[in-house]
Formats: sequence, structure tokens, C-alpha cells
Amino acid sequence: MLMRTDTGTAAPSLPEARPAVQLDGVTKQFGDATALHEAWLKIVPGEFMTLLGPSGCGKTTLLNLIAGFLDADAGEIFIDGTLVTETPAHKREIGIVFQNYALFPHMTVANNVAYGLKTRGVEAGEIKRRVDEALALVKLTGFGDRKPRQLSGGQQQRVALARALVIRPKVLLLDEPFSALDKNLRAAMQIELKEIQQRLGVTTIFVTHDQAEALSMSDRIAVMSAGRIHQIAGPQDIYRRPQDRFVASFIGDASVLTGKLLSANETMAQVALGPLTVEVLAAPLAGLTAGADVDLFVRPEHLIPVDGDAAGTGLPGTVRTQVFQGGHVDLYIDMPGYAAQPVLLRSSGAHAPSMPKTGDLIRIRPASTDLVAFPRQGD
Amino acid sequence: MKQRPFLGWFVSPAALVALGLTAAMAAILQYSVRAYVPGSLNVGGLTLDNFTALLRPLYAWAFWGTILLCLLTAVFTLILAYPVAYALVRVRSKALKSFILIASVTPLFLGEVVRTYSWMIVLGNNGFINSVLKSLGIIDRPLQMMFTTSGVVAALVHVTMPIMVIMLAAGLSHIDRNYEKAAESLGAGPVRRFMTITLPLSMPGIVAGFSTAFAWTFSAFATPQLIGGGKVSTVSTLVYQLGFASFNFPFAASLSLAGLVMTFAVIALMKRAMRPVERLGEQ
Amino acid sequence: MSYPMRRSPLAVAGILLVAAILGFVMLPAVVVTITAFNDKAILAFPPQSYSWRWFERAISYDDFRKGFWNGLIVTAWASTLALIVGTGFALALHRYTFSLKSTLEALLLSPLVIPHFTIGLGLLILSAQLTVGRGYPLVVLAHVILVLPFVLRSVFISLKNLDGRLELAASSLGASPRRVLFTITLPLLVPGLVSGWLFAAILSFNEFTATLFVSNQATQTLPVAMYNYVREYADPTLAALSVIYIVVTALLLTLANFFFGLGKILNVDAH
Repeated sequence: MLMRTDTGTAAPSLPEARPAVQLDGVTKQFGDATALHEAWLKIVPGEFMTLLGPSGCGKTTLLNLIAGFLDADAGEIFIDGTLVTETPAHKREIGIVFQNYALFPHMTVANNVAYGLKTRGVEAGEIKRRVDEALALVKLTGFGDRKPRQLSGGQQQRVALARALVIRPKVLLLDEPFSALDKNLRAAMQIELKEIQQRLGVTTIFVTHDQAEALSMSDRIAVMSAGRIHQIAGPQDIYRRPQDRFVASFIGDASVLTGKLLSANETMAQVALGPLTVEVLAAPLAGLTAGADVDLFVRPEHLIPVDGDAAGTGLPGTVRTQVFQGGHVDLYIDMPGYAAQPVLLRSSGAHAPSMPKTGDLIRIRPASTDLVAFPRQGD
Repeated sequence: MKQRPFLGWFVSPAALVALGLTAAMAAILQYSVRAYVPGSLNVGGLTLDNFTALLRPLYAWAFWGTILLCLLTAVFTLILAYPVAYALVRVRSKALKSFILIASVTPLFLGEVVRTYSWMIVLGNNGFINSVLKSLGIIDRPLQMMFTTSGVVAALVHVTMPIMVIMLAAGLSHIDRNYEKAAESLGAGPVRRFMTITLPLSMPGIVAGFSTAFAWTFSAFATPQLIGGGKVSTVSTLVYQLGFASFNFPFAASLSLAGLVMTFAVIALMKRAMRPVERLGEQ
Repeated sequence: MSYPMRRSPLAVAGILLVAAILGFVMLPAVVVTITAFNDKAILAFPPQSYSWRWFERAISYDDFRKGFWNGLIVTAWASTLALIVGTGFALALHRYTFSLKSTLEALLLSPLVIPHFTIGLGLLILSAQLTVGRGYPLVVLAHVILVLPFVLRSVFISLKNLDGRLELAASSLGASPRRVLFTITLPLLVPGLVSGWLFAAILSFNEFTATLFVSNQATQTLPVAMYNYVREYADPTLAALSVIYIVVTALLLTLANFFFGLGKILNVDAH
């Protein structure tokens, strides 16, 4: 076993368990700029947590703070229940895979992997055994004598992973580890990494700007922007129940339709969309009174064309462009009065021949229980 | 055939300069095997006497002394320049960076005479160090620092510092900081990090700086001449004396040639010894 | 709450060490400055009384004045020639392969490791063999040989940082190679050319050892005049001259740092 036995379970533990990583109001300033504003985060043992956001959102700052490469200006950081805010990086027991892997160029693969064990004074026989084990784990048995530059990008990444895991870290940090790989290799490495992570049950924090990567690999995702964490939730929830406009527009494609709030109860609210009425989550609209303008965020696959042209069954629009994407077809529809920007409708590529063409009139309606609306923003 | 517009225009001036340099070196080579005609600037027939004369104790000693002087200077320069280069590359404040850069590089542009003269004032019997020590009551008779090897080394270290700092800093600045972060995350403290990661990866800069310092020291003339004051003989001071005091240009030429061969040999040796280490910097 | 910056004892020791070393580097300049204002005619420390008289003597001393003008003439010629030669060769090195390319490159860079006295002696013997006197051309040639490696390096680095697609774009727009060279390549190289020229000029103006061999009474440059002075006199005149030297050089370097970024020129900035 590479991992400590007490976290050797594949499934994330219950949230009540002692967090593997806990951030209490961690803040970091660079000069006048706030790189991270009061981050609160609890990561349960064995969890695969992703920090997702555009570049400059503070996700790398957060990672560096957890790793100990940066000092927090305020707040506390706990790892495995221990306060580490002022613990130097080399005493935090953390494994990191860097974006460019940072394999020591002057050492062999085996010496790279052994490095963390040597710093811990592990005896030679034990080092050899654990290095072999770690290389076997990443399917690089027999590569120990090579130098990093003799390896392919994918192999270098495996070595970096083995080097980070062999010390049995309390947390594994991954800093955009796939961005240097080409597309096919990337998909294969994602699956492999996820398998290894689940097998070892190591708590993992993964930083990326690639939402597809985040959605497919994570147990939970923290969506970040401008130094703030906007939402922490599972991939499904992030996609289907975004908490604010940023999350709704950053994750996946979404079109904005303008509507009016009709009524709301504790959980659900009704929104008028021209002649249609749709149900949305009430929470984001809290505080609005009936009649207030709201923006409805609709996923392209949640819009469907309506047969016939009876008023009241759909919203009218004109097809602006049809884009054939292979597996699916995208229609961009001008809907003056309902949407300021063209509305995107996505439908299976099999329907391509029968789809409306540029300039055609079309009626569409939202068909999903996963609709969200937010208070209208001043334009 | 690929077009190479202006190739002739670009290369021929450089070729002319190279020709001048080659001719000068050839002149040395030719003089070194000619006989010395005392009292005349003309040279005699072919001979190897100049090279056998190099084996005489006076010159053999000067040779060894010079090599030792160069090695000592290069070692001390390396020890002093490394921390400065490290600070130069790692300091975050821009103003502080500029200050370190200007302070450590300015001496490079002052020329050997100004710098040597400054050191004469620092080391002299009534100079700065002796005055300070005397007023502190530590000594009552001046320490002899002028006309000693240590005095020459101190001044030479000062002469070679800037170029060493530049070469080390160039090497250090190309080391990816993530290597050190990776080592840190793997549990390495500052000392271990430096010894196992930063130092080995800066080897190419060390080799380049060390050989340059060696070659510069070998080339130095004003410093050993003025601070050594005839008590510290180096190849450069001997060549000058042979040329301008006794007009023995053939022997001066052979001494220069031997020095040149030795410089190249030492540098080649150093490069060779360091070759396995030097590849470390490649990525 | 906020945390004070962590400074380990190791870091503090490092800062003190670097400060001490920089002190060693700057000590002679400081000492020489104080000495320059010493009223007495002997080199003693610390001065008993102060005056400007050595500065007056330094700028009125005949050999220094002549050396200064000689130096300017030699430097102007040598640095400009080195710039032309170096730029051409850097362009050829960067763009083309040609026969003897690496030989020529090694030869032109070799003055970095060949002792200056060797080059000086070689040129001196050469001039004797060719029976040409030790005039300005010989001194200028020596200086061009010695500063060329620095110009080459400076121009070559700027060439490497130049986006080659700009030249391709220009020629795709119909510009002849000559037009591309003069309207695109050279204008974009200006910072590298200026810094290379400045480098060459400073080094040439200060060159001593080789000049000592190849100059005569009529062509001696300022450093040679200073060397001859220090062998004859021991008054603070030279200290005063050194101070002028140090101030002008530091000023030039600060300007260069301000306009071009010295770190970039010297290739010591992190990437």
C-alpha cells in the first residue's frame, strides 16, 4: 500500500469526518490586488476536489497557500486537523504535480522518485522497495535508470505523480497537470489518474481552467473568479443548479432569456417568458417581488423546437446561423424582445437534414426542470 | 540552393578582423622559434632555445605561481560572487535588484588601472585598512599587504567579481523555480534544497564563470605589476619585462605562447571534468 | 489577523553576507573618493584636510588631456567598427550556414580567453614585421578585436529575441531583402545595437594591457597615461581622476539600466 491505511477508502467520507484540508477565511494580497478573498473550504478525506476558474481567478494562489509556497495574509489553514498556516512547505507532507512536472533534470527517474524518501531519512532498502512500487503503480517499471529528458510527456507526468505519491502525502496537489499533453493522451491520463486516486483514496486538490476536465474527474468543484469562491458543489449540481450568474455562464453554454417573476414559494419560483411559464429554483431570486425582471439561463440542450406555429406554445425567433458540429447541430437564433444575444439551441446531429436553415422562422421553448434565473442585471 | 542575401557583406568585415587576429597569433608563433639577437630588434634563425629556457627555475616558478594565483583568485571569486548572484536573481524588490546589479557590475567598466590604483590606497602602509586597524588599536606597525601575493589576490578577486556574478546569475536565472518548489514539497529544507537542486543545476554557470575568471586573471597585468611591485612575478609581468626592458621578443613570444596553451589546456580540462555535470542544466 | 513575514536565521545570515560582499566590492571606490579630496600630497588615510586641488590637477595635467583625446578617438573608431563588423557577423550567424562558420565564430570569440598581453604582443610583432608604425590603426585594430565578442553577444541576443515572422511578413508584402534589412530588421535591433555599442565603447575606453603594448607616446590612451603616472608619482591626482571615472561610468550604467534594462542586456533576468 502506498497510502496511509486510515484513509484507504475509495469513497469520500461523510462531511462530518475530520477534514483533510480546511481553510478558514484565508486571504492573500499582492500589493493592492486581492488575489484571494476570505476562502472558506473543507475537503473531506479521500475527496477529489477541483479548483476551477479562469486564469487570474486565484486558484493557483490558493494551491500555493495550501502547499506553503505563499504565506497567507489572514486566515488559517489546517491539514489533517493540524494548524499549518505557519508551517514551512517542506514540513507539510504534501505531494505536488506541477504543470511542467518539474522533474529534476540532473537525476534519474528512480532518484527523482526517491528524493522525498531520502529527505525523510528512509533507509536504502525501503527506498528501493517503495520506488519500485511507485513506478509499478504508474506503469513505468524498468524506467528507473533513465533521465527525465529521455521520457515522453505522458511518461514524465507519471514520474511526477509517482514522486508525489511515494511519500504518502496527506494531500495531493495537481496544478494543471494535463495542459502540456496533447488531446488524446490527455483523456487517457485523466482516466488513469482518477483510477489511481480512487485506488489509493488520497485526498486530491486539482487546479484547472478546463471545465470538461473538472466535470468529469471531480467529486466536488469549487468554482472561482476574481479571488473568490463562488460555489462549492458536485459536478452535477454545479452544472444544473449554479448559484450565481458567474457559475451559470462560466460552466457549460447558456443563453440568457429575459422574463418576469410571477410568484415564488420556499423552493420554486414561476417565471413568465412571453406567453410561457417556467419553473425555476427560488433561492437565487430571494428578495425579488412579483413583476421583477429576471434573466433565465438556459442550456442549449434544454431548448427544443416547437412544431406548428400556434402562439403560446413557443417563443418566435429567426435562425441566424446553423453550425454542423458532427455529433450535434448548433442553431443560433435571433429572438428580439426575449434575448439580447442570439440564443443557442443544440440538437442531435442525426436531425441535421431536417433542421431549420439560416433565415427560417422557428418557435422554441425550454423543456427541462433544470432552469435557473437570476435578478436582472443593470445594463 | 537557398538564397543568402548580403552574406558577403555580413561576413567579410568579420573575416578581415579574424585575419588580423590570426596574423598576430602567427607572428607570435613565428617569433617564438627565432633566436634572440641581443641589442637588436631583429631576430635570428630558427631555434627551440626559447622553449628550453622556459624550463629554467625562474620561469617555471613564475608559471606555477601564476597558475596558483589564477586558481586562488577564481576560487575566492566564486565563493564571493555566488551569494551576490543568488541575491541578484532572487531578490523581489526591483530597486534592490538594480542596486545589486549596478554595484556589482560597475567595477567591470572601470578598467584595471583605476581598480588597481584604488586597491593600492586600500592596502598601502598608510592606506585604509592599516589606518583603520591602527586607530582601533589592533596593530601598532602597519601590516604589509602591498607587494604580497594575498594583496594581489584580493585586488584580482575584485577585478574578476563582476564577470563571475554575471555568468553565475545568467545560469541561476534559467533554473525553473518549480524544481525548488518540488523539492520543498518533498520535504527538503533550505540547505538540502540548495545542495541537491540549486547548486548542481547552476554548475554550467559555475564552470563558465570559473574558467573566465581564470583566463582574466592570467591576462591581468596592471594588478600584479603595481600591487605585486616586482615581488610577485606572473607570466604577464615577465612578458612585459622581456619585451620592453630587454627587447627579447622571441622569448616573450614563447612565454606568451606557453601561457596561451596552458590557458586553453586548463579551460579544456575544466570543461571536460565538468562535462557530466554541465549537462545537468539541459532540459 | 495577519502574519509577520517569516525570516529564518539562514535568510538573515544570507542578507548580511551579501551586504558584506557588496561592501568589499564598493570599498575601493569609497576609499578612493575620500582620498581624492585629501589636501596633502601623500597617499595617507584618513586625510587631515580637504581640497579640490587634485581634481584641478587631474583635468589640467597634459598627459591626461592627451590621453583622454587619444582614448576618445580610438574608442569612437573601435566601437563603431566593432558594431558594424559585429552586427553583420551576428546577422550571418543567425540566418545562414556557410563554410568556416564555426571556425570564424570561435576565432572571433577567442579574445575572451586569450590574454590581452598576448594579443598586444602579437600585434606589436606583426606591426614590426610589416614595418608599419605603432599608429592609431594598430591601436584601433587591437580594440576592435578585444571588444568584438561583447558586441556579437549583445546583437546576437537581440536577434534571437526578434520575431522572424516580421521579416517574413515584410517580404511577403513585396519588400526586397535590402528593404527588409533597413526598414524592419535593423530598426527593431536598435536597442541591442545601442547597448552593444555602449558596451564596446566603455570597454575600449578602459582597455589597458593590450594598449600598453601597441601604443606609443603619441597614441597612448588615458589608462596608459594613468599607469605611467602612478609609476612616477604618489599624489592623489589619480584618485581624483578615478572618482571622475567612477561617477561617469556609474551614471552611464544607470542610464543604460533605465533605458534598456541592464539585466536583459547581461542576460541575467529570469524568464
